[in-house]
Amino acid sequence: MSTALNLRKIHDYLFEIPPHGKMRVPARLYLDERSLRELLENQSSEEWNAIRQLENVACLPGIVKAAMAMADVHPGYGFPIGGVAAFDPKAGGVISVAGVGFDINCGVRCLRTHLTRSDLAGKEEKLADTMYEVIPAGLGSTGELKLSPKEIDRVLREGARYAVRLGYGREEDLEYIEEHGQLSDADPSVVSHTAKQRQMAQVGTLGSGNHYVEVQVVDQIYNARAAEAFGLELGQIVIMLHTGSRALGHQIGTDYLPFLEKATRKYGIEVPDRELVCAPIESPEGQQYFRAVMAGANCAFANRQVLTHLVRQAFWKALRVPETAIETLYEVAHNTVKWEVHEVDGERRRLLVHRKGSTRAFGPGRPELPERYRAVGQPVLVGGTMGTASYILVGTEQGMRETFGTALHGAGRAKSRRQAKRQYPAERIVEQLRKQGIIVRAHGKASISEEAPGAYKDVEHVVDVMCNAGIVARVARLRPIICLKG
Amino acid sequence: MPYEYLDHEADIGLEATGTRLEEALRDGVQGLLALLVDPETVEPREAVPVQASGDDPGALYVALLNAVLAAVDLHGMFFRDFELTRLERVDDHWVVEGTLYGEPIDLERHAVEIEVKAATYGGLLAEQTDTGWRLRCVLDL
Repeated sequence: MSTALNLRKIHDYLFEIPPHGKMRVPARLYLDERSLRELLENQSSEEWNAIRQLENVACLPGIVKAAMAMADVHPGYGFPIGGVAAFDPKAGGVISVAGVGFDINCGVRCLRTHLTRSDLAGKEEKLADTMYEVIPAGLGSTGELKLSPKEIDRVLREGARYAVRLGYGREEDLEYIEEHGQLSDADPSVVSHTAKQRQMAQVGTLGSGNHYVEVQVVDQIYNARAAEAFGLELGQIVIMLHTGSRALGHQIGTDYLPFLEKATRKYGIEVPDRELVCAPIESPEGQQYFRAVMAGANCAFANRQVLTHLVRQAFWKALRVPETAIETLYEVAHNTVKWEVHEVDGERRRLLVHRKGSTRAFGPGRPELPERYRAVGQPVLVGGTMGTASYILVGTEQGMRETFGTALHGAGRAKSRRQAKRQYPAERIVEQLRKQGIIVRAHGKASISEEAPGAYKDVEHVVDVMCNAGIVARVARLRPIICLKG
Repeated sequence: MPYEYLDHEADIGLEATGTRLEEALRDGVQGLLALLVDPETVEPREAVPVQASGDDPGALYVALLNAVLAAVDLHGMFFRDFELTRLERVDDHWVVEGTLYGEPIDLERHAVEIEVKAATYGGLLAEQTDTGWRLRCVLDL
């Protein structure tokens, strides 16, 4: 692909690259002048350039409308992070490993509590230590739940529901998880023995990198009606947890990369980047990968359900907060592929939507939403950094029309991990955050340096761009108090 | 440097070079091991066999790195060294075998760095240069 940028400004918050070369549709980026400039300036390598990755996605068969990137866009592998692409099976649409990623169904759950900031006063250190002790995190950690091969298959088939059945969390949690925490197309028989073996000791572990559990306080409410529907109030304590499908998901990606490469050759699909290997959705190979991904997704649902239970345990152990005082507000995933019905050019079409580092953000009225939220729209959970705010936003009608009901998933990285490691020594970051009233507990030093707030884009600005573009609307801002990292 | 880490906003690039393909593959594995845990804190007390195959040297590189990541979970061990024992072209694909040396994970003693989710085909490169082989791919962190 050509690297010369032919960016057309559609409006102040949206740029478009018209199709050129082998692009079948335009590439669209929800950015303003500042975020576009920063994206270009921060580019670490021409080899993995987010805009070029988006153009490459626009070349895939059966892609509908446009390859789109949200304001938190940055380079990934194959797809850019912050990307969304929908494919029509009737137009030869494909399913791709890179459109989901290796951390299948990675996502964020938000728990609202009956506690206020003053209930935590003076007890923050104790809570942080207890969370560190109770929640397995970091490379090499293992979960308390050791599953047999048969039980692993049930995790893959039943997702969060199976975790609840085993006593992890409550039935009510399931109502507020995307797909109720269980995807019915999952097929454990197309997941390798190695993938299952790797997962045996990893159910209920957080992982490392950008995964975290954060205790936060609601410090701004922007939309009283939606905040009321979501059960949010000023000064309230909420908890966010960010993790995915752990080793099982990683191994599914690993196993299916060469598998789909063979399919790419078999069906004569031309891909501009080898990581974009794919198969027609309706082909046996595409169907098999889809069923494997659904199994991986169920594993992530179960993992977050077990972690929710562990968070409740930590609050009970440290503060004697009963588990009924901690409720699931919502859980949303950002590495997914899903069947969804969307209106395109006045026609309702069943599309396979890939979201890589972007969040489903459905507007009001969609049947997929829990009844409690249906009138206002879907809660969209946007993770900030250890030192900056996170946001709860809500999906809009406009988002449904423009982005297949998709929005940003976080602040988005701006600096490479190596650059961050050089620039932000862990001890200094921990001290700086302590001065801001934020307690950090991490198992690996690298997690702190590489995830330092300075390594990310300005979350306020990124959220501004998406809200000004009309794709989402603000509901509440959350300030971090305790951050647990891997 | 037999291996080098390359800047990537979200992940990391891993490039390995060697006069022969065997060396480049071996050094790529060493680069991966050093990313997970400080190798100086790991004793090479136990041997674990590892094998991988791929249609071409690039796919082989990615498959080998992923086999090493799987070995960490499957054996509950961290590794310090990798010895490549076989590299062969069989019919239309390549096969590599080797031995990882390490010990069971001990979080009190092992200086853990970061979890690598997988080696990807992103930025994949496998080329013969004037001085030997150059292998490169993006690791998902």
